[in-house]
Amino acid sequence: MRTPSGAEVLGILAELRGAGAELRRRPRTERVEALGRVLERFRDPRSEERRELEARLPEASGFAPETIRAGLDLALERWTARALFELVEDELACGGRARLTGGGRARLTDGGRARLACAFPATSVLLGGAVPTPTLVALLAPLVLGSAVLARASSHDPVTAPVFARALAAEHPELGAALRVVSFPSGDADAMAALLSAECVVAYGSDETMEAVASRTGPAQRLVRHGHRLSVAVLGEGALSGPELERAADALALDVALWDQSGCLSPVALYLLGTERVPAAVLERLAAALERIGERLPAGRPGAHAAAELAVERGTAELRAAAEPGVALVAGAGFTLVAEPDARFRGSPLQRFLRVHPVAGVDALLAALAPLAPHLAAVGIAGAGGRTGNLAPALAALGASRICPLGHMQAPPLAWCHDQQGVLLPLARLADVEA
Amino acid sequence: MIPPARAELERELLAWMREEPERHDEARFERLALALFAFQLEQNEAYGRFCAARGKTPATVRSWREIPAVPTGAFKELPLRCFPAERTVKTFRTSGTALARRGELHLDTLALYEASLVPSFEAGVLPDFVAGERLPCLVLAPSPEEAPDSSLSHMFGVMLGRRGGAGSGWFVRGGRLEVDALLAALERAQASTKLLLCGTAFAFVHLLEALERRGSRLALPPGARVMETGGFKGRSRALAREDLRAWIGERLGVPAERVVNQYGMTELGSQFYDSVLREPGARRRKLAPPWTRVVAVDPETGRPRAPGQAGALNVVDLANTGSVLAIATADLGVLEPDGGFEVLGREAGAEARGCSLAADEMLRAHA
Repeated sequence: MRTPSGAEVLGILAELRGAGAELRRRPRTERVEALGRVLERFRDPRSEERRELEARLPEASGFAPETIRAGLDLALERWTARALFELVEDELACGGRARLTGGGRARLTDGGRARLACAFPATSVLLGGAVPTPTLVALLAPLVLGSAVLARASSHDPVTAPVFARALAAEHPELGAALRVVSFPSGDADAMAALLSAECVVAYGSDETMEAVASRTGPAQRLVRHGHRLSVAVLGEGALSGPELERAADALALDVALWDQSGCLSPVALYLLGTERVPAAVLERLAAALERIGERLPAGRPGAHAAAELAVERGTAELRAAAEPGVALVAGAGFTLVAEPDARFRGSPLQRFLRVHPVAGVDALLAALAPLAPHLAAVGIAGAGGRTGNLAPALAALGASRICPLGHMQAPPLAWCHDQQGVLLPLARLADVEA
Repeated sequence: MIPPARAELERELLAWMREEPERHDEARFERLALALFAFQLEQNEAYGRFCAARGKTPATVRSWREIPAVPTGAFKELPLRCFPAERTVKTFRTSGTALARRGELHLDTLALYEASLVPSFEAGVLPDFVAGERLPCLVLAPSPEEAPDSSLSHMFGVMLGRRGGAGSGWFVRGGRLEVDALLAALERAQASTKLLLCGTAFAFVHLLEALERRGSRLALPPGARVMETGGFKGRSRALAREDLRAWIGERLGVPAERVVNQYGMTELGSQFYDSVLREPGARRRKLAPPWTRVVAVDPETGRPRAPGQAGALNVVDLANTGSVLAIATADLGVLEPDGGFEVLGREAGAEARGCSLAADEMLRAHA
């Protein structure tokens, strides 16, 4: 992909605005159907698109090919054309929260009110990281609304966005003309300023990236942030022994292994409800499960800096295990398990590095998670029985935007309220029309 | 009271640090490192257990290269000291957040710490000045009074006390760079022949941005030099070191060959400086004081890398008598055949591989 200058990025944006205007003249269902067909292409393991992702992503992302295949299979299982249609219905159509404007008159409800959702002329998307599935949602959501999209590909995944763009052009050339993918170094201030001049900007990345983007966008622009987050897992008393423990350990190992724990939905800590210390049997089962999954889905290449950070965290755990009661370390091939003496959260260098904490009960769990609240994404639960229903509102109040069974953490629904936002509405201008 | 074994080691070390010129002495380093290792194994329970679990004892460790290195992360978890807590006279802390604890270096004496920092600073930053000569030192960091647990502020405080002349001062207060006061001081300093401008790299970025906004370019005197340290983690603006040097040259008029980067960390008693002022014309690299050794290791196996190959930096620092002498860092670097080294920073603007909040990022969230 050729690196465009700032002036060229501005030129592309201008072209895209024109294409977006064309787009909005067409019925929304046409766009949703075309985008649904693109999703189906990505879901099909034999499609050209999937073959290209699986062939090229390992080199770019550092993930093992088996992990990429399994991650895509699981994540896209429910991302059907039908799911996209339901998402649009849920957020935009009659009965939902808003109606998408198509240039026609607003239809008022019986109460004499209507909420209109209008597309921005152009949306810039600053993609981040190597996990490919968020890229699909990031690109299709503005297009559903009728906004043209200019995306900057992530340096760790230069593959998914261009493949999506080609698939879209093949399915619907007019829609394809409203999406362009560019690539330039993050230090290219001119190109970045041009990219961030779109009416709507969607940014994925670290807190520093969010801060930098926010400082370069104006008050008249819409900025939708998707900062880095983390997730945790909980085992209730029902999953602390026997076959339930085996099942939960395997499910959790899958959640940890997919994307080498680098996704915001990857659990970095496990809490054992109703325990004072981490039972040795639980640690053994988890280690065995991580060992097994490592044979099927090998750990990838983390990069030199990440490897050095992992070594420091492993070494620190080794020292603590030697010196601190209640701390244990199991360092396997491609994974690290640390039994902690208490529920206090500690960071993880990722790369399949999981801390296991005892926690007396639900109140103690919530207290332990409270410092994470601003960064919490999902909580995966197994063996909590009837408590799950009670736990969910408390976890949601804390900031979790997803509560789900273990083994499914890496497979959010297409309509998941990522970062406690809708998928489409944050990208729209809303207006209430009253009789 | 300091145990006799350590007191004897410190006497030898203090004598070494006072020697002029600094001399590398492998046999002396080896002997002192092994003696200090034996002492710390006995006095530092956590470290002793860590080494025992690895089967490393004074009987099995025959070279300083075999001394088990404690990861920097351990300083956040355990009080790694070789003396009773009540004898602590100073604790330096790393930056911390609501989610991540701060690393701590406890000291029961500042004598060796300061004896180590002074000759390294003098050799790295002021090698061409007459010993003891005072000059204006403008510090882009908080004073030790404002940041009593900052090892960097302490170091600047010690050097300001020794070398600071008229016009010296601190220009970060309440976490903010006092740009107007600093520019006024720089304006005055343009009349001097010598000047030291030192501080954190990010404070320099603030200064340079302010100069750029005002359209100002200074021409600091030919004897002026800049010492900058620290990285850009957690900052919305990151710069490659070469770019920072070029910017300093453009806005302050101090050429790259008089801009010295310091590599140091709270957990270490010694610091490492760029060679540019000490060895003009030679390739820029970090020089290690004689009482330290730096090795690059394969992060996955811990095996040493050959010179020229990148690896995680491990430091053996004899100035760490009261804590642990061997430290494993998460910094990457490349060793030179002469024992010097280069620190490989993350590429400015490098993106994370995923969208999960990693430990190092957590450390700087809310910082």
